[in-house]
Amino acid sequence: MKLLHCPMNGTRPISEFVFGGEFRDMPDPEASTDKEWAAYVHNRNGAPGLKKEWWYHGPSGTWFIAERNTLTEEVLRTYLFGQETAA
Amino acid sequence: MQMISKPTPIAYALKDISPKMGLLNGMDVVMSFGDDVTESKNRQLLGICDVSCLSRFAIKGPSAAQWLELNKIKIPPTANSWNQQKSGALVLRLGNSEFLIEDQPEGKLCAALNVADRKALTGLYKVERSDVALLLSGSQVLSLLSELCTLDLREKALGENALVMTQVAGISATIIRQSLNNEPVYRLWCDGTYGAFMWDTMLEIAVEHGGGAVGLSSHYKL
Amino acid sequence: MSNRIGKKPGEWINREATLKFSYEGKDFTAYEGDTISSALWAAGERVLGRSFKYHRPRGVLSSANHDVNVMMTDGIDTNMRGDVVAVRDGMKLEAVNTVGGVKADRNRFVDSISPLLPVGFYYKAFHTPRRFFPFWEKMIRKAAGLGIVNFNFPRVLKRKTTTHCDLLVIGAGPAGLTAALVGADAGLEVTLVDENQYAGGSLTYDRAGASEAASKLSELIGRVKTHQGISLHTASYAAGYYTDHLIPIVGENGITKVRAKAVIVATGVFEQPPVFRYNDLPGVMLGSSAQRLIHRYAVKPFHTGIVVTANHHGYRVALDLLQAGVKVSALIDMRELGEVSVLEEDVVRKGVVVHKGCCVYEALPSKGQMGVAGAVICTYDEATNQANPSNSFTLECDGIAMSAGWAPAAALLYQAGTQMRYDDTTQQFVPAKLPQGVFTAGKVNGAFALEQRLQDGERAGNEVLRYLGKSAPEVNVERHAGSSPSHPYPIVPHPKAKNFVDFDEDIQVKDFVNAAKEGFDNIELMKRFTTVGMGPSQGKHSNMNAIRILGKIRGLPVEKIGTTTARPFFHPTPIGHLAGRGFHPHRLTPMHGWHEEAGAEFTEVGAWLRAAYYHKPDISKQEVIQEEALSVRQSVGIIDGGSLGKFEVHCAEAAEYLERFYAGKFASQAVGETRYALMLDESGVVVDDGVVARLAQDVFYITVSTSNAAAVYREMQRWLQIWKLQIGLINVTGAYGLINVAGPNARAVVGKLAKHSLADSDLPKGGIRETEIAGIAVRLVRVGFVSNLAYEIHVPAGSAVHVWNALMDAGANFGIRPFGTDAQRLLRLEMGNHLVGHDTDGLTNPYEIGAEWAISMDKPFFVGQRSLKIIAKRPVKKRLVHFMLEEGFSGEMPFECNLVMIQDEIKGRVTSISFTRSANRVIGFAYVDPKDVDPGSKFQIRTDSGAIVVATVVKAPFVKLERGA
Repeated sequence: MKLLHCPMNGTRPISEFVFGGEFRDMPDPEASTDKEWAAYVHNRNGAPGLKKEWWYHGPSGTWFIAERNTLTEEVLRTYLFGQETAA
Repeated sequence: MQMISKPTPIAYALKDISPKMGLLNGMDVVMSFGDDVTESKNRQLLGICDVSCLSRFAIKGPSAAQWLELNKIKIPPTANSWNQQKSGALVLRLGNSEFLIEDQPEGKLCAALNVADRKALTGLYKVERSDVALLLSGSQVLSLLSELCTLDLREKALGENALVMTQVAGISATIIRQSLNNEPVYRLWCDGTYGAFMWDTMLEIAVEHGGGAVGLSSHYKL
Repeated sequence: MSNRIGKKPGEWINREATLKFSYEGKDFTAYEGDTISSALWAAGERVLGRSFKYHRPRGVLSSANHDVNVMMTDGIDTNMRGDVVAVRDGMKLEAVNTVGGVKADRNRFVDSISPLLPVGFYYKAFHTPRRFFPFWEKMIRKAAGLGIVNFNFPRVLKRKTTTHCDLLVIGAGPAGLTAALVGADAGLEVTLVDENQYAGGSLTYDRAGASEAASKLSELIGRVKTHQGISLHTASYAAGYYTDHLIPIVGENGITKVRAKAVIVATGVFEQPPVFRYNDLPGVMLGSSAQRLIHRYAVKPFHTGIVVTANHHGYRVALDLLQAGVKVSALIDMRELGEVSVLEEDVVRKGVVVHKGCCVYEALPSKGQMGVAGAVICTYDEATNQANPSNSFTLECDGIAMSAGWAPAAALLYQAGTQMRYDDTTQQFVPAKLPQGVFTAGKVNGAFALEQRLQDGERAGNEVLRYLGKSAPEVNVERHAGSSPSHPYPIVPHPKAKNFVDFDEDIQVKDFVNAAKEGFDNIELMKRFTTVGMGPSQGKHSNMNAIRILGKIRGLPVEKIGTTTARPFFHPTPIGHLAGRGFHPHRLTPMHGWHEEAGAEFTEVGAWLRAAYYHKPDISKQEVIQEEALSVRQSVGIIDGGSLGKFEVHCAEAAEYLERFYAGKFASQAVGETRYALMLDESGVVVDDGVVARLAQDVFYITVSTSNAAAVYREMQRWLQIWKLQIGLINVTGAYGLINVAGPNARAVVGKLAKHSLADSDLPKGGIRETEIAGIAVRLVRVGFVSNLAYEIHVPAGSAVHVWNALMDAGANFGIRPFGTDAQRLLRLEMGNHLVGHDTDGLTNPYEIGAEWAISMDKPFFVGQRSLKIIAKRPVKKRLVHFMLEEGFSGEMPFECNLVMIQDEIKGRVTSISFTRSANRVIGFAYVDPKDVDPGSKFQIRTDSGAIVVATVVKAPFVKLERGA
């Protein structure tokens, strides 16, 4: 099965993880129209390609972001939230 | 407060047998499951030992490392690593800012930490835990682990002071490899509510390999 | 008459050990190491099975488990494949799929009516008139099928273990052996696996009457077996390729899941048969099959035979046959130009007549089609693929060895995502673009000559070394020279058909033609309609021919036809192996043993085991539940709630955090107070509810439902990352046991043991205190979920049993009774308390359940707030109400999910319903039209049978609660 690299715990089989959905920045609720807000809540990008995703490592309780190509299954990188640009 | 003895988290798994019991740190523990010869054989081939009775103290937060150092604990330098204090107490660094300290059988470090002042620092949280702690020994121990865990836990893959939080038999658990009485052993901690399941699962496999349960006396002179 | 011949170098049989077994009631002997097929063939037995559809007699085809001609049962195991199952002393075998034994199979008549059973016949005949279909179905099922399931098959534990290595080499033929040695010599940890009993691949049988292969084999095996860096697994197959180089190796005793850093697929090729009429008679076999019988098992495949070939392999086979003492009367080469090489010279020199540009037009059956008696030979035009029977002649023989080409055993390569291309030089699909970390060598890679394969193995091994960061030179592999190992179209048409392509499924050439005529002319459709490749060997001996035939029909080159998807498992894999030990993790509360002894019937709530109710002798479950509930109403009951989620939230920003996470307000919550906490998701849907208690200004303690605990904690952790508040979040679910004491005497019972006063003024409803109970430090909450007066005790897990026992003692005078989750459901229903996930679903918003009071829209932000603003603008479509049925109701009991109707319109549904002895009424929750929410309103429920039951809306609680009940 697929291996995924947790930034804190290293490479583990995917069975140790919980998928947390596509990573999306929440728009400003005050500034959004109803339509914009509904799109944020309900719409997802289904086209295959590079996606930012939330993943959770169960045994350690670590949330992180994975950049995964949903067509080729290749995971480009993973990082803790907010540490996208960390070395 | 009254001194009532506590059952071990694996108590339910032991309900149908009557091993030789003892009391350590207020917990009823199995001192040995059978005669010395069998215990020794099991310990050296594939022994499962319940060490849940050892004292533990857990703390987390951004100031946890600092607080421990203030309390004279030498902390492991990196995330997901462990070390052993002079007293023999284990200090596990779970992730980056959570620590689990476990005393040797008659150690007093955890009791002291439990009452040490925490008000001086913010960002410090005591963690209430109820662990089942197992000690796995024997020449066949990797046969057991290879059936329950998908990680490579051999010496060449699991570093000397490395700590892994992974899944064992489908349950979240923490594992380290250490040396005890000059023998390589594995230590495992998981939530106490899974204790009976973990014990039963491991014991079944150990027995199939010719090993079995060992009591506390097998590893510790008390 | 024995067909056993003299000792062969490296033979797989042990002539010192003789075994006895029986087949179809007849006794046989075998040597240790014989397979069922080889032992029977050695004994001269020819009919080893009956085919799936037409029940035609069959002998060996591949002797390699690339077909299931030889499928046996021993009464216990249903699908024993004779080619690879070793004979054991005392075996009692029968062929599967016969009625009355393999020789006298009463279903053999099916063969003669086969014109009535064209491919896809079951779609056309038998399905109308519909009422007869069950009859036909039963008949067809009995006539087809590959054995009878043994429902008493013993469960034998097969372990599944995980191992790790640097390099996994799949296939221990010359290429694989070489590659493994290259890797191990450079210090890699190598696992080498081969499905056969012994390693060596084709070196163990394809010898062309010479000794080169055998000595090469000896040399390679010798080095591999003594190499510390190589772990060799034989009699184990790689079942499939899974992402990131996880390959399960299936052996007799279980599955080893190998995680490798690099994989070399050196799995070789499957021989494909030439297709001609009656190519399935016992005695007609693949060339490699004859070679396996000779060199592995020292069995003479037949006495007087011919070889028909469309490639050079037939010449090698002829030389092996001659060496084994077979009289080879002719070699029929379907190619116009024949074979121009040393091989041909050798064959001719040994006295075999070679007929070029000829084919076997049809094999002639012996009596009862139990064997082959001869072959009709005629000229064959490769260009037009036409045979010319007008100039035919017949040769007598009792066996035909046939060769036409090879199909790569590339399933694992496909599964790994390899792009293949069709190579014209070798007329074979070969890997073109391999995924990272996957390499290939040998025949599967299009390398056929022995020297080429050895070089290819070295090349692949070196590529792996470079891939893993070691230095290793590039290796040049000689290009293929000579005739193509595979023929592009070795098919001989015949007006009377019975020229088989797939032997598992009895598929003939005309079946493809018919399928294409019906429009099933795409390879995937062709497969499903004809069932080619759908038998137990999954197309190993048939897929390539099928592709070629479809290409011809469509007038398209093979690469435009493509291949069907290769799916795991490579060989049929026993379900017991896949199941392994089967872990069922269970979470037990500290009182589990007590519950069990008290007669608890446990129910699974996620991984937790909770007591649902406690058995009482001679009392039904429903009765017990009512009694348990009644004891809470009348006196006092006790329940174990240890499975509830429990979290601590620490620090100055804790209140801020909770105000964002939940719908209600917590900043102003007083210390020692609890509040209802409503959790919504971003779309405003009710996700969970729980209780938030404030233990200190900067310490909150939350309880959430058992089933949502893990998910809620995960979400808390995620929002914490996003909001970046400085709080400490701790999951203490397993660290604390939880005991709930409920009923009018609850205060009296708990009061006996509690250090803190339980007077209303000291511990009001909804209050929490840190105190001691029975000498143990606990968190004590006064709650009201199942009754007006109830206490929830949160006690460290290690002391939970002590406190439970103490409470049972303290409550003895009051008749304290343990109650389970079933009674708890009834009790909360009586109180009028909804259950999220039971009375709400994945779309329920808080307005529908009247939870406006739990929402504070004036907060700056909380999860779900923005969506609620949108939802609030719309009219509510349904509302959850409490209802009762009429007094003394005795009609058809409605169930949860029965619909609430107004005329023919659905307005809602029943979500909870139960009779309660406490009120002597049927009570429940239901969603109704908003106009019907007022107490006293009546609404209609449609029962399962369609009857209408009238219900009345009431106010909760349903039961008259005693003061403090």
